[in-house]
Amino acid sequence: MTLLRAQGLTAGYGPVTVLHEIDIEVNEGEIVVVLGANGAGKTTTMRAISGTIPRHGTIEFQGHSIQKAAADAIVRAGVAQVPQGRGTFPELSVQDNLLAGAYVRRDGSKAIGDDIRKWFSVFPRLEERATQRAGSLSGGEQQMLAIARALMSRPKLLLCDEPSMGLAPLITQELFNVIGRLNREEGLSVLLVEQNANLAMHMASRVYLLETGVIVASGSAAELSADDSIRKAYLGF
Amino acid sequence: MELFLQRLVDGLSEGSVYALIALGLVIIYRGTGHLNFAQGEMALFSTYVVYQFGEWGIPIGIAVVLGMAVGFTLGAATEVAIVRPISKKSPFAVFIVTIGLFQLLNWFDGAIWGGQQLPNSGVGSKQVRFPSLFPNAPTDFVTIFGANIKVQSLGVIGLVAVLTVALFAIFNHTRLGLAMRAVAANGDSANLVGIRTGRVLMASWGLAAAIGALGGVVFAGINTNVNLGLMFTVFIYASAAATLGGFDSPGGAVIGGFSIGIIQNMAAGYAPKWIGQEMKVGVAFLVMLGVLLVRPSGLFGTSRVERV
Repeated sequence: MTLLRAQGLTAGYGPVTVLHEIDIEVNEGEIVVVLGANGAGKTTTMRAISGTIPRHGTIEFQGHSIQKAAADAIVRAGVAQVPQGRGTFPELSVQDNLLAGAYVRRDGSKAIGDDIRKWFSVFPRLEERATQRAGSLSGGEQQMLAIARALMSRPKLLLCDEPSMGLAPLITQELFNVIGRLNREEGLSVLLVEQNANLAMHMASRVYLLETGVIVASGSAAELSADDSIRKAYLGF
Repeated sequence: MELFLQRLVDGLSEGSVYALIALGLVIIYRGTGHLNFAQGEMALFSTYVVYQFGEWGIPIGIAVVLGMAVGFTLGAATEVAIVRPISKKSPFAVFIVTIGLFQLLNWFDGAIWGGQQLPNSGVGSKQVRFPSLFPNAPTDFVTIFGANIKVQSLGVIGLVAVLTVALFAIFNHTRLGLAMRAVAANGDSANLVGIRTGRVLMASWGLAAAIGALGGVVFAGINTNVNLGLMFTVFIYASAAATLGGFDSPGGAVIGGFSIGIIQNMAAGYAPKWIGQEMKVGVAFLVMLGVLLVRPSGLFGTSRVERV
């Protein structure tokens, strides 16, 4: 079943149009990866879907149009974004960052507390630093916190904007393992944009290639790795 | 000893007014990163409103609550109608606009209550009597360790202490407080977790102006009158208090306000004759300068350190 369907999605900043009528779909239970170089429009794609910049075209989530919805309504509908460069609340404690992630929930502090404990067990490093200011965490820990914060809203679709940015390969691998596990065990659907094709391709159900604001190729990870020119350009071998 | 105690209490009660205005400055600065130059004049407008309610026969207690509500509305409306659209064009323009608002509100007060015609200068305006929130007859004092302490001073200090505790409970233990802290830390991310940042900023400006209204009422009560120049120096001291405490720290604003009040009164009391009363302003600023040399972000301010 289609969870997210964006058609003719166009977006940009002021007079500059970055995305030109792209079509993207995420089915329930999928991990969809959008690959692209710097400036291809990956982050713009994420922002257009999460409603943080003006956009045109049709965006449907679970069959309902979210094209005109404000960012907070889109979070309520079940789409949570992990922004590029983590975007944690540096002055707030780790615990308060997670509480802020649950801001849209109305199911009471007990359920929210249970979820905090759950993400602490997935990311034990965060539990050790529960009362520390998020700004004092290492890059990898902040990325864990940003993912856990997004998951606190109990999203059906997680948008991940270049989680590997600035992280050591081992840490990136660890994060991708967690995302893969959440996908398998909890049926979390993921739309992930990356430059780091090698790691991302491994766990992708389907892949889109984005070049200067246009989708130039799409298909399963196997199909795209089989294409010589794509392999050379994005996988480097 | 008696004199010292008296000066301490006087300093605390004047300082609590600075603390209230400084709190408003800090709340707005944390939320939107703007220095609201009109903070004192917003408070003055609300103070005149409270005076007007009094003239209409409304008891002072109720009038203060209504005046704070008017202040909240004024602050919230300013954010929505003026600050928000302008900060999209240029953040620096907001500062200039708040200076304009400072002037406009003062003119407005002068035309309605100050017996002046537009545009007025704020100098030599009509003074209207203003009631104290607490008993303030010559006989209303208590004797502590031999010092005669005004009931009004104790009332003012107590009121500000209660308000500060309540504010900290709001900041640290409520949904609104969490939203305010999140918006202050990272507005874009606050939006991404579903916080309506616009509403939070509106509430922040409203809250700041409501607290300021209380500050104005308290100060007019201490002075027993209200006039167009009432908040000029208070605003300067409050800015100093916020700078001293750290512009992003509500606790720092309160402590900064009390400190400046105490320093001022002590300096006026103990300074040698050749310094004189007029120089007590300078002493507060010297202390501030000294602190800033050692801690540029103020006593309790955070210098933004972020690992990436």
